[in-house]
Amino acid sequence: MDGFKIFLVDDNDLYSKATKHHLSLNPDNEVITFGTGKDCIANLYTKPDLIFLDYSLPDLSGIEVLRKIKQSFSEIPVVIVSGQEDVSTAVELLKEGAYDYIVKDENASERMWKAANNVKENALLRDEIDRLREEVDHKYDFSNIKGNSPVLKRIYKLIEKAAMTNITVSITGETGTGKELVAKAIHYSSTNKQKHPLVAVNIAAIPNELLESELFGHEKGAFTGAVNKRIGKFEKANGGTIFLDEIGEMDLSLQAKLLRVLQEKEVTRIGSNTPVKINARVLVATHKNLAEEVKNGRFREDLYYRLLGLPIELPPLRERGNDVIILGKHFVDEFVKDNKMPKIQLTPEAQKKMLQYDWPGNVRELKAVMELSAVMCEDQKIDAEDINFTSTSNGLGDFISKEQTLKDYNLMIIQHFLDKYDRNVVDVARRLDIGKSTIYRMVKNKELEI
Amino acid sequence: MPDKLYNLSQLQELAGGSDDFVNSMVETFLEYTPGQLDDMIKSYECGDLDQLGAIAHKIKPNIDLFAITNIYHQIRLVEEHGKNNINSPELESSLQEVSKVLQEVFKQLEQR
Repeated sequence: MDGFKIFLVDDNDLYSKATKHHLSLNPDNEVITFGTGKDCIANLYTKPDLIFLDYSLPDLSGIEVLRKIKQSFSEIPVVIVSGQEDVSTAVELLKEGAYDYIVKDENASERMWKAANNVKENALLRDEIDRLREEVDHKYDFSNIKGNSPVLKRIYKLIEKAAMTNITVSITGETGTGKELVAKAIHYSSTNKQKHPLVAVNIAAIPNELLESELFGHEKGAFTGAVNKRIGKFEKANGGTIFLDEIGEMDLSLQAKLLRVLQEKEVTRIGSNTPVKINARVLVATHKNLAEEVKNGRFREDLYYRLLGLPIELPPLRERGNDVIILGKHFVDEFVKDNKMPKIQLTPEAQKKMLQYDWPGNVRELKAVMELSAVMCEDQKIDAEDINFTSTSNGLGDFISKEQTLKDYNLMIIQHFLDKYDRNVVDVARRLDIGKSTIYRMVKNKELEI
Repeated sequence: MPDKLYNLSQLQELAGGSDDFVNSMVETFLEYTPGQLDDMIKSYECGDLDQLGAIAHKIKPNIDLFAITNIYHQIRLVEEHGKNNINSPELESSLQEVSKVLQEVFKQLEQR
């Protein structure tokens, strides 16, 4: 912050002189005095950081000057300094937007000094908040979702469309595909949401019995252990966005309550009868196939349609082609930057190895693998042997460790493909190079489900 | 009258150690306050209690600043009665006391 400009408006020359001298003991303060309200108003264009305004001026009353200041420069804090110890006047002035009310007694100068420091501190904090907000906006800007694949370009377009409106968005995709990143990108790209909160709730991480209170809040004494009133996540997200991650894990009874909240646009805290209006944009994510969950009776159909909104399905990394290299390089660059290391290259062999791998843990796994490679490599080059896959759920070893019969393995493989390709028997038969009648026969024998 | 009717310690604290500033404040006090005192008396004499109250309101912080504690209550009474148009014996006696003490303070400050 540059110099801190203070207007001191008081027709008492002696008092004004004393206060100016005192405030000027801080060399950051530039104190300018005015003897009338009109002089002060005429100089507002110079944008003071703070105004100390005497309540009794010869030309205009303190409240008139305050109103005129607030009309045109509502952000300038105005501290009323008055010889009157009148509580009702003070309350009226504070209601009109005065920052503080100081009585001209023996402590007045000290209180004015403190008020100036408080305003200065608040201004610094506001600057800091603006700077951090810009940083966060940039961090989660959707241009930071790396990749060039056609499938990702479609995702960019959907995020843009989602950001332009208030539509509910359902984000699906395997674990590690970046569902939360997309939710953040939608929130932070929505211009009307930037100053409102994004409240994320991981449904799977909260025990069922606590989830209702977590989402909707509770009143003091609503249940054993509710020692204080608590505001729920929906209320906290008011005006902003609530992101319900792993929505597929929500208990059926709570699904009914969530549906009601979404329909009525109001929440009622546990133990209260008073609904609270909410206006929060809803984003949901799941790695489950919700339609399938509905079919199996594990997810309410009405809630499914309420939440579906704009569906964004994130592709697994293995279907994003060359994005794995772009992302891999990005993660290595970020890692070396954060650790102040020299730049590291990916050799063609390393890139080939990355492209051949299935990445079951998706982007999250890629990030971990690349960071480890950056640590293990020599001569600022990541080679094929520096890349070690650590997935716990992939590979033949894992598959055959179940020790089943060959027929069972066949059934598992075919069922996996049927699940993956929307029960399209013809497509699966073609992909596995088997007869479709073979699949139909297994279905008929109830060995497979379609 | 007691020896010293004023106390400059508050002013010195505000001055942050600058004697020049204290001297300049004393000069300003001596320059303006006698005139304000005259105006108060004239306002009272012509029955303009509103004006009397307004001047008392303005002079009050200066009296506090110079810690002229002998008339702490009297100046407030003059302000209050003046603003509320209450012409009472207390108003007259308080004004007289304010005048007497201030005139003594002017002398003391000139001789300091």
